[in-house]
Amino acid sequence: MAGSNARSSEETTNTREIVITRVFDAPRELVFKAWLDPGHLAQWWGPKGFTNPICEVDARPGGSWRVVMRAPDGSEYPCKGIYREIVAPERLVFSNMAEDGEGNPVLDGFTTVTFEDEGGKTKLTLRTRATALVPEAVSRLGGMDVGWSLSLDRLAARVALIAGREC
Amino acid sequence: MQTDHLSTTFSALADPTRRAILARLASGQASVTELAQPFEMSMPAVSKHLKVLERAGLITQGREAQWRPCRLEAGPLKDIADWVEQYRRFWEQSLDRLDGYLKALKRKEKNDGRKQRKK
Repeated sequence: MAGSNARSSEETTNTREIVITRVFDAPRELVFKAWLDPGHLAQWWGPKGFTNPICEVDARPGGSWRVVMRAPDGSEYPCKGIYREIVAPERLVFSNMAEDGEGNPVLDGFTTVTFEDEGGKTKLTLRTRATALVPEAVSRLGGMDVGWSLSLDRLAARVALIAGREC
Repeated sequence: MQTDHLSTTFSALADPTRRAILARLASGQASVTELAQPFEMSMPAVSKHLKVLERAGLITQGREAQWRPCRLEAGPLKDIADWVEQYRRFWEQSLDRLDGYLKALKRKEKNDGRKQRKK
């Protein structure tokens, strides 16, 4: 993970990069399609146990996407973004923003997914750079040595990212 | 950390009065009376909030009979503040589900193919 050894600046504290590589036993065209076809996307987007009652995709560069995830307890977590690059079936670049219940952004991400053919299987590499949005409340609590990245007001929205473990 | 533990923390944080209490405790321990003061709340109402915070492990209350000071416990907050881990988990789990979904599609295709041949 980038930045883990340098926490001195605001940038490295609140912006991180994550890289995940997976090999899927499916042809590259299908894996790629699973990201841009809303019927497919709604079937797998989000943590375990979540459903996606709203899944809208405008699959062209500059087009937007929007997914509302529903947790097993019924609470909903919207996220959205804009496609920056769509090169079928090899590369997908988009922004991704997670919101709290009132539509305030809590996390601002930029994600690149590449798809490589490996003898009929597909090697997927996901590179995502995300910034946790830090409001004023954090500086008020600045005296606490707890490595604040988010205000207490917005922490609840983060449930979307962890609730998957409930299942 | 257990998830139900995390959920408890989140629901404890969902209330503005409880967040204000935590913010107050961030600057040092305080008695229940001191905590009640700025909120113009009854002592039982404040005690109720404190109980929720205590159950979530966010505060501890001293056992001294008279003044029983409350103090902030940073542990659960530290866990929650680790948003990077949560963000990674979001993607890991989404990709797990994508894998499962692609496998299901493949099985379905195979079954459909078999049906086709039988005809």
